[in-house]
Order: sequence, then structure tokens, then C-alpha cells
Amino acid sequence: MDLNFFFEVLIGGLLAGIMYSLVAIGFVLIYKASGVFNFAQGAMVFFAALTYVSLVERGWPFWLALAAVLGVMIALGFAIERVVLRPLVNQPQITLFMVTIGLAYFLEGVAQGVWGAQVHALEIGIQDKPFNFAGVSVSQFDLFASGTAALLVLVLAVFFQKTKTGRALRAVADDHQAALSVGIQLKYVWAIVWAAAGFVALVAGLLWGARTGVQFALTFTALKALPVLILGGFESIPGAIVGGLIIGATEKLAEVYIGSSIGLNIGTGMENWFPYMLALVFLLVRPEGLFGEKRIERI
Amino acid sequence: MFYRLAGQFKSSYAADQQIFPIRQDRTFIAGVLIVAFGVIPLVANDYWLGAILIPFLILALAALGLNILTGYTGQLSLGTAGFMAVGAFAAFNFMLRVPGMPFLVAIALAGVTAALIGVVFGLPSVRIKGFYLAVATLAAQFFIEWVLTKFGWFSNYNPSGVISAQAIEIAGYRFDTAVSKYLLTLGIVAAMALAAKNLARTQTGRYWMAVRDMDLAAEVTGIDIVRTKLVAFAVSSFYCGVAGALWAYAYLGAVEPQAFTLDRSFQVLFMIIIGGVGTVLGAFLGAAFIVLLPIALNVGAHAFFPGVSTDLMSNLELVIFGGLIIFFLAVEPHGLARLWQIGKEKLRLWPFPH
Amino acid sequence: MDQSTFAARLTFHDPIETMEVDFSNFTFAEPALVDAFYDHIDQRVAATGRRWYFLVLYEGCEIAPEAWERFAARGKHANISYGLGTVRVHPSERTRETIRSRAERETFRANIFDTRDQAMFALGEMRKRREIIGAGTADAYLRVHDIHLNFGGVKALTGVSFQVNRGEITSIIGPNGAGKTSMINVISGFYRPTRGRIFFDGADRTHLPAHKVARLGFARTFQNIALFKGMTTLDNIMAGRRFRHNLLTDALYLGPARKEELRQRAEVEKIIDFLEIQAIRKKPVGRLPYGLQKRVELARALAAEPKVLLLDEPMAGMNVEEKEDMARFILDVNDQWGTTIILIEHDMGVVMDISNHVVVLDHGAKIAEGTPAEVRADPVVIRAYLGVAH
Repeated sequence: MDLNFFFEVLIGGLLAGIMYSLVAIGFVLIYKASGVFNFAQGAMVFFAALTYVSLVERGWPFWLALAAVLGVMIALGFAIERVVLRPLVNQPQITLFMVTIGLAYFLEGVAQGVWGAQVHALEIGIQDKPFNFAGVSVSQFDLFASGTAALLVLVLAVFFQKTKTGRALRAVADDHQAALSVGIQLKYVWAIVWAAAGFVALVAGLLWGARTGVQFALTFTALKALPVLILGGFESIPGAIVGGLIIGATEKLAEVYIGSSIGLNIGTGMENWFPYMLALVFLLVRPEGLFGEKRIERI
Repeated sequence: MFYRLAGQFKSSYAADQQIFPIRQDRTFIAGVLIVAFGVIPLVANDYWLGAILIPFLILALAALGLNILTGYTGQLSLGTAGFMAVGAFAAFNFMLRVPGMPFLVAIALAGVTAALIGVVFGLPSVRIKGFYLAVATLAAQFFIEWVLTKFGWFSNYNPSGVISAQAIEIAGYRFDTAVSKYLLTLGIVAAMALAAKNLARTQTGRYWMAVRDMDLAAEVTGIDIVRTKLVAFAVSSFYCGVAGALWAYAYLGAVEPQAFTLDRSFQVLFMIIIGGVGTVLGAFLGAAFIVLLPIALNVGAHAFFPGVSTDLMSNLELVIFGGLIIFFLAVEPHGLARLWQIGKEKLRLWPFPH
Repeated sequence: MDQSTFAARLTFHDPIETMEVDFSNFTFAEPALVDAFYDHIDQRVAATGRRWYFLVLYEGCEIAPEAWERFAARGKHANISYGLGTVRVHPSERTRETIRSRAERETFRANIFDTRDQAMFALGEMRKRREIIGAGTADAYLRVHDIHLNFGGVKALTGVSFQVNRGEITSIIGPNGAGKTSMINVISGFYRPTRGRIFFDGADRTHLPAHKVARLGFARTFQNIALFKGMTTLDNIMAGRRFRHNLLTDALYLGPARKEELRQRAEVEKIIDFLEIQAIRKKPVGRLPYGLQKRVELARALAAEPKVLLLDEPMAGMNVEEKEDMARFILDVNDQWGTTIILIEHDMGVVMDISNHVVVLDHGAKIAEGTPAEVRADPVVIRAYLGVAH
């Protein structure tokens, strides 16, 4: 077995996994604070990327476009909280999940309706040149993405642990009623969380868009975040990273190695379902994920 | 005033447990059936039959299937389209490879095949609940799509993976006109809708709803929840499988795995949310809504804004669907069926104020 | 002191269900010795899994003053846990006086005799009386033995044993957190005990899962109502019945399914009549007031025609009238259908009024057992739960 090739595939997979993690982190934020699994996260990624790219194409300078999109995402967060979440405060988790599905479709329709449905190329200044490291070829771009992800995790960790708002978020995640009773304003907390998720979506959107171009299919890569979260645990940001790494790596490895071994060119397309099967196995064996909290049901 | 129940009292349990205990309902259903079977074939043109009513009926059937799993038993499933695909491809292969296979038997076998696959992918539901189960069904959806695309055997090695439905022939009679296909579909869907309603009002349905409402209590009451869940998966997948087979044979004529993607699963899910989860009527209302809305939008937009682009229209559809889902879940989680119910109750008094 | 010394002093007379404990010429110099001896007795009895009459020989037995408390406490624990009755033979004057004064204070029979023969005769009388009353025989309908239940580090139940007799109403009482609901959950098969056994009608059924336990003839209601909120009252109760049905006949409805539905409906209507809930048959249970929801839950439990009915705080949150109604229903169920009932309840008035037998739990352990009158007067129970008058 060609060890160099194996490492290339592995590292390529790991780095691709980081990209999944970026999207997954957005999910974790919202789930941690409001218990809602935000299916629309992918749509938010798409929305952010598309808005940015369209502004830049119309001649807006890089920094201005970035700031504008950030503003839009924060406003979107507040709007979602006000219009979508507040009327549904006490509904079961499944209902909230289905609402976010509706939200996803809504956002996609708006984004494409406003900016058009063509594929856009996104440049953020980092070339996708290969970078040679001890005989293994690694993409410079992927490295940059990993660096960004690491930085993001650090910033979020500091935010959650050290700031007052971060603590309030954790309190809300634990128990809404209790948080209310100590005076935490739920609606501000939720709005902040959704805005933060929007920011994360922006970062993810820029990176993904630079990698594969900004297109509608971006929303479905968000679905990949689901297995990532199941592996990592829905409430854990480190879990999202680890989960993403595992999914990215196993996906690529399965495609290359299992695929070619059976001959039939089976490999192509395996990455569509392999992560979900892996997630399924995890659900049966360790449903709370590697870093998540166990839930005990009492009668 | 029109919906008064005065004077309608039941003097036996049998009368009380009829499928439509209220006289006005019976009249209404009779009317609908007469129109559906007798009037429409005579007045509707081929476009309406072939492009609107047949897909409406088939999607309503799929919605009935999903309703059984998600509405009655509370197991969220995003794999509906996958099971439809199984049904379509199974029917094709049974007709192709078994000489002299009668059409209706092939359809039934397609349903059974889908049911078996459904049970396999339903096994995780024994340990996984709520929306984690949705992930398991996603695995089913994507895996089925991949298998049917990847392994040419299923599409008889057609280069684009397309299966071409054979002609439908029952007892020597060929079903090749729009009208005949419509009546065949209508007959199958009506029979299966009746079966669904019966299942819902007997102990099978009660066990499903018990598992949905509180499965721990159901277990302690002596209900075997593993069996109940798996039966729900089986029946639901059977319905979806038959729907898929009909999609290929009675509607499109030729179908590829891409007709049964995740988008279609979401489409059926939206149908039951908008129509009303947990009701047979809801499946039909939701399917009608989802099938008719794009047409209504198109017609309306072209009437007011001629020359509007199709791109814009399809985006508008997304926006409206998404918005409606949010609206219904927030305002009337029981969907159109509940609104229908409320309407009937208002009719009891109208035009009197009280 | 090694075990063989103790072992030599214990004799089990199986045919007369009596354990002979020979304390004669033994000196309990210190509490640790008391513990050592009683630990041995506890172990030996646990191995038999039964309850025993005690025949205790005291001739020449010395108990040091500092060991007395321990001796009394261990003896009492033994009586409660696995005793059917005690007779004592020829204690010394001082011991006799101590036993007598304690017996008066704590309402147990001193049963002191001068010779072994007299003691055996009294024992025989005791056994005969018990047989006539039919209470507390070694052959109980439901018996839980040495049940331990641990959740991670939390010990919900420690070594609880008691029995429930056929056709009786047994109440389990105790402060909050005592483990009452946990005990019911163990009995209904919802929790698997960490240690211990459950016997029903003679057979060991410790490891049965919840729905099999339900099929054996156990039905229960819950502290926080566990009705199927999306269904009507009628449907909830029907869901509790055992139907003869299958998928195909149900889909067809006409024919066997319809007949079965109508037959079951008639049976369910009897229960509806019995509990006087006709008016709310077709209402979705989620909309019913709390008291009625509890009644519907009881109806669903009864629908299964259970042999043993477990009621977890059936009267919680009810006013006086509703409590009286519920109490009447429970008594009627016990009377008319002979159902054995196990009841968790906080209202002492109700417990005293309707129970035949009471078990008291505190911090996961059984601290008393007996008739309502006995338990009410027990100072340990009063201190732990009922409250001391001041």
C-alpha cells in the first residue's frame, strides 16, 4: 500500500472534514442555546455566501461587503427569533425542527430570488495550490481553512466560558425556565445566538464558496453536518470538530479504498450515504455522541 | 345550520363506530366519490387528468403512507422518496423478469418489497427516537438512491438508469389512456385510503397513537412497542412503495432514481404538515395544496405579470412553501384538516350567531 | 468470634416455619458482638428467602447495658424484615423486665415463657391464628425480596422486602424521596433491580420486561398522568384492552375486526359506567380537568383486567370530594373484582381507612410494616414521617 497516497487521502479527508465542522459549529451554537436543531443552517451559509459574492461582484470593496453581510446575518438572526421562534416557544423538538426545514426553503428562495441562481466564483485571496510536506501533498487552502476553524473555536470557547453573555447562553441551554427566573432575557439571548450562528455561517459560507463556488448545492452540504453532530454530540463544539474530522476522513477513505477494492467502481457516490450509515451505527451504540451529554428519561 | 347534529343519535355501538357517523359527512363523501368516479372522467381533459389529478392522487397515497409513520406513530421519516423508489424499481423488475406477471400483483409485490426494506431501516427506531430517527431515515434515502443508481441490474442496464414502465394490462384490458389510468389510480388510492382509515380506528391505530403519545406508558400498558413501530414502518413503506410504482406506471411512464430524491421526501413531509398530521383527510388536502399551488401561482403571476421568468417563479414557490410551513406549524399545527373541522363546526350555527 | 459458633446456635425447623435462636449462656458484652451475631442470622435467613417464626432461648443470656440498644434495634429489624412472630424462653429477671417495658412502649407482644414447651405451644397457637386470618402466610401473592436499586451512585432502594397478599389493599407510605415510586417501577418491570428477587404467585419474575409484566396481570397508574393525550377517553381505555386482531383484518374492518371492536367496546363501557365517566367518552383527554384525567387513567388500568393494580398517588391534587370518590372506586374495585391493590399515597386518612396492610419506606429502606394501626403507633414511623406532636 502506498503510504504517501494513504496519508494524502487521509489528510485531504481530515481537512475536508474541517469544512463540515465549520457548518456544524453553527448548529451546535443554536442547539446549545435553544434546543432547536436548525436545519436552515445550510441555507444560512448559502445566504451569507451569496449575498457577499453578489455585493463584491457589484463592485463593493471586500471589507465593506463583509461588514454588510455580517450586519444582514445579525439582522436575520433577530428576525428569525422574533418571527419564527417566539410563537413556537413550547412546541416539541420535532415541530421546531420542521419549522427550520420550512425556514431553509424560505431562505433559499429569497436568496436566489434576490441575487439570481447562477453559480458564482468566490475569491478570498488564498490559492488552492498544493503544498508539499514530507512527501505528502496538502492543499494550502485547506490549511487556511483549518486555521480559521481553530481560531473560531478558540474565540467561541472564550466567549462561552469567560463572558457574561456566554454564561447566560449556557444557562438558557440548560433550562429555559430557570434562566428566566434569574432574570436572563430569553429573547436577547436567542437573538444573539442566532446572530452568532449567522456569523459562523458567514465564515463557513466564504470558505465553502471559495472552495466549490457559491451554488444552491451548498445547502445540502449542510445535511452532512448531521452525521458530524451525531458523532460529536449536539452540544459540543470540540465534538463538532472531532466529528467533522472523522466524517471527512472516513468518507474519503471509504470512497477510495472500499470503492476500489470491490472493483466495480463502487466508490463514487459512496460519500453520499456513508456518513449517515456511520451516524446510524453511532446512534445505536452511543447516541449521545463522543462528547455529548447522556439523557435519562424518567417516568 | 347545515351541519346540525340534532336528531342524529346512535342507539348501538355499531352505529357509533361507523366510519362516518355523521350523516352530512356520509353525504359529502358519497358526493365526492360520485364526482371522482363518475363526473370527472367525463368532463376533464387529458391535461388535467394526466398532469394534475393523477400525480395528486399518487402523492396523496405517499402522504397517507408518511402520515401513518409520522402522523399516527410519531416516527419522523425523511426517507419517503427512497421507499417510493424501491416500489417503482421493484414493480419494474417483477414485470420484467417474471413472465406473465399480472399488473396488480406486481404492484402489490412492489409494496411488499418496500415494506421489507422499510422494516430494515425501521429497526433503529427501537432505540432511537425523535429527530435522531430522521437521520436514520436520511441514511435510508441516500443509500437507496445510491444503490439504485450504482447497480445497473435494477434498471436493466439502461445507460441513464431510467426504467421504462411496461404497458398496464389487467384481465386483457389495456390501460393506456389518461382516463383509464386515472380511474385505475383512483380505484387503488381510494381502496388504500379506506384501509388506512380502518387501520386508524382499530386497535392497530390505537397502538400507533399510543406509541406516539407516550411510548413508556404504552409499554407499561402491555403494548409491544417494538412490534408496533415496525408494523408502522412496514405499512407506511408499503403505501410509499405502491405510490412509487404508480408514479412510474400510471404517471410518468419512464422514471429514474432522480425522481425520488430528498426533495421529494420533503415535498411529501410538507404535504402532511400543511394538510394536517394524523388524519386521512389531511393527506389529501395537503397533496392537493402542494400540487395545485405552483399551478395557481403560475397562472396568477402570468395573469398579473406577463413575462415573468420561470426562475423567479420557482424561487417564489420555495419562499411560499417555506413560509407556509412556518405559518402552519406556528398558527395551526394540525393543518388544513383542522381548519376544515373548524369550518364544519362553524357551519353548525351559520347563519345564526349562536 | 467465628461463624461456626453462631451457626451452631441457629436451627431451622422447616415444617413449622420456625427458626430457633439459641442465645442461652451467651454474653453480649459489646454492640459489635450483637452486630456480628445478627449479621450471621440475617445472612442465613436471606439465603432461605422466606419469613420465619422466632423461638429465642434466653436462659443464662447476659446483655451488657451498653449493648442493649443495639440488641433491641437489630431484633426489631429482624422481626420487621423476616419475622412472623416471636416467642422468648426464660430470660433473666433483668432481661425480662427490660423486654416487658419495651414491649409496652413499642406495642409488640413480649411473649415470654418459662419453658421451651410452653413457648412451642404458644407458637402453635400463633400459627393457627394466622392461618385462619389468612394474612402474611409464607405463600404470598406478590413478594419482593431484598430489592436493591442503584442509579449510578444513587441508592434508590436498599434491601427492601415485603409481601402483598391476594385480594388485599397494601399501601406504601413514606416521605418524599423514600423510594416509593422506584419500588412501584421495579414491581411493574420498568426498572430492573440491581439485586433481589420478585416472586409472583410463586414464580420468580424478576427479570421480565415491562410489557411482559403487564401481560402477567399487572396494571398501573402514574404520579404524573401518563395518558395518551392525542386520543379520546374511549380510545385510551380501549388501548388498554387485549384484542384479538391482526393487520389485515383491521385494514378490512368488516368481519372479524368489527366484531372484536364491538365486543371490546361493550366491555369497556362497563368500566366507563363503573367509574361514571360516560359524559367524557369522546373528549380528547388532553382537555379534561386533572381529576377526570386521573379517573380515565384508572379506567385504562382496569381495562386490562389486572390481577394486581399499582396506583401511584391516585389522589394527588384532589379536593376532599374527589378523594372520597376515588377512595370509593378503589374499594369497589377491590370488593367487586377482588383485585389486589398496591397504593402509594400521602393522605394518611385515606391510607388508614382503606388499607389492609401498610409498608413504610424511608431513604430507600423499609422501616416498618404492619396493619395501619400498628404503623400509626410505631415511633420510628412517627419520627421519620408522620411527625411528633408538640
